[in-house]
Parts: sequence; C-alpha cells; structure tokens
Amino acid sequence: MIITNIESVPGRIINQELGLVQGSTVRGKHIGRDIGAWFRGIIGGEIKGYSELLIEGRDQALERMEKDAKAKGADAVVNVRITTASVTGGAAELMAYGTAVKLAPVSDQE
Amino acid sequence: MQASEETPTTTDDETGSDFDGAEFLLTDERFQDFQTSLYENMPDWLVNLFFYGNSFGDMMARNFLQTLLFAFAGWALASYMEHRHNKKMNIREADLEDVIITSARRASPDMTEAMMITGSVVVCHDFFRTLFIKLRQIIGGNIIHYERLLTRGRREAFIRMQEEAKLRGFKKIINVRFGSSHISGRFLPAIELTAYGTAVK
Repeated sequence: MIITNIESVPGRIINQELGLVQGSTVRGKHIGRDIGAWFRGIIGGEIKGYSELLIEGRDQALERMEKDAKAKGADAVVNVRITTASVTGGAAELMAYGTAVKLAPVSDQE
Repeated sequence: MQASEETPTTTDDETGSDFDGAEFLLTDERFQDFQTSLYENMPDWLVNLFFYGNSFGDMMARNFLQTLLFAFAGWALASYMEHRHNKKMNIREADLEDVIITSARRASPDMTEAMMITGSVVVCHDFFRTLFIKLRQIIGGNIIHYERLLTRGRREAFIRMQEEAKLRGFKKIINVRFGSSHISGRFLPAIELTAYGTAVK
C-alpha cells in the first residue's frame, strides 16, 4: 500500500476517493524504561526508551490505518497526518489519518 | 586467616612460592582501618560536606550542598554531551547534502515512487537547567535553554528522516512537516519532536 502526505500519488492517477481512514493506538513502556528515563533526566538529552515507544506506536497506528483502508478496498492513502497526545504518565496516544483512494491501473495511464 | 587454613595449599607446594593470599583479604579489622584512614586523609571541606553535624539545620545544609553538587555535575555532563551531539550532527548533515527537501504540496509529473517517512526524537532537560528555568520563569522572557534544546532535537529528527529516506534509496522529500508535542513520562516531562514528509524518486 502506498502512503503519502501529499494530495496525490506521484506517477499514478487517482480513480476514486473512498473516504477518511484512521488508526490509533495508546502505548506505554515497562517501569524499567521509566526509571531509566528518570536517570536520564539528570543529564538530559534524548530519552531512547520514549523515542522507541513513539516509533513503535506510530508504526502500529499506520498499520491500523492501512488495515482500515484495505477493508475499504483502497490502493493508497493520501494526505496522511500524524498526531501525538500524552494520555497519562508514561503513555502516549498516536493517531494517523488520511484519505483512502483507489488508483487507476498502471496500464491505463499510457 | 581461617579461610586459608581450611583450603588445601597444594598450589603453593607446586609453584614453590611464598605467596599467602590471606594477607590481602579485607577483614573487618582491615576495613575499619581503611575507613578511619580515609576519614583522616580526607580534606576538611569534604568531611564537612558529607559527615559533619547531626542537627536538622546541618542536614538541610548538607542536602542542599549535595543537590547543588549533583546538579552541577549533571549540567557539566549535559553541556559536554550537547557539544558532542552538535558536532556529530554536523558530520551527518554533510553526508546528506544530496537529499533535496522541499515543503511543496504537489508532486511534479516526473516523480514515480512515493513513500511516507518519519523521523522523531524525545528529549528532556537536565536537572540543573530545569531548576534554572523555573527561576527564569519568575522574570519571564526568552528561555534560551529551551530554545537550544528544541532546535537541537528538531535537527536530530530532521536528520533521522533524511537518513531513512537515503537508506530506502530516495533522493527527494516533499511536503515536509514538523510537529512537537508534550509527552508526560511517568517520572519526568519530555518533549517529542517529529519531522515527516513524502519521499519520492
């Protein structure tokens, strides 16, 4: 599945718009990571545990969005936006949403 | 000394050395000697800092000084690491000069393949600067420490996005967006910085 955050799919023609699709997830890390983060707070800088948490969360949100798009019979999702929100201590919600579209077959374009 | 009597001393006989391992064992007596010698040889200011006095006021003063020392050590280390990180990023940016980045929303007709890519980083301040910022907020104005932290974090996220694009064989990224959000960790607040866009060929 092609995912872009522009309004089109480069090199392809959009046949049909299938509507908004979205995927979201709330994730946390185990307490060991939180304690590690606290120690990290003494020196400052990047908190690797939380960076990892958000990358995992983003992947999962995009995966769920793709699943939603596939259920609608889409070929691609365009104009995707990602948002992050802090739910409670040590947990974050990640949400991805976009427009599911059906593309014209490659052979039709020429 | 008891330990050496119990264990067989065959090795000594074989090698023929006079080495007696028990001499170097740290027994209770030896440990006490070591401790007292440590206190005696310590400079006065260090003894005063950690071991002097038993009253509440002394305890508070000691805690205050220890916190300050702790914070200063963190600050020094953080400054060093910031410097090192900036240097590293300069090198990484030099490698990524051939990746073209625009914030254009439309794709030109010659572009063929597309994929959304992201780069993100979660950063937080060191303990000392957090204290300093709390004080600074009484007066208000520019909080330069936060500016520097966010700029550095955003740069890191941007570089990560470019690196991912390069890894996947893309040479151009369009419609790049930046985002930042507050993440409350379980024990400390942190800031997430993201950069995402569509990589095209």
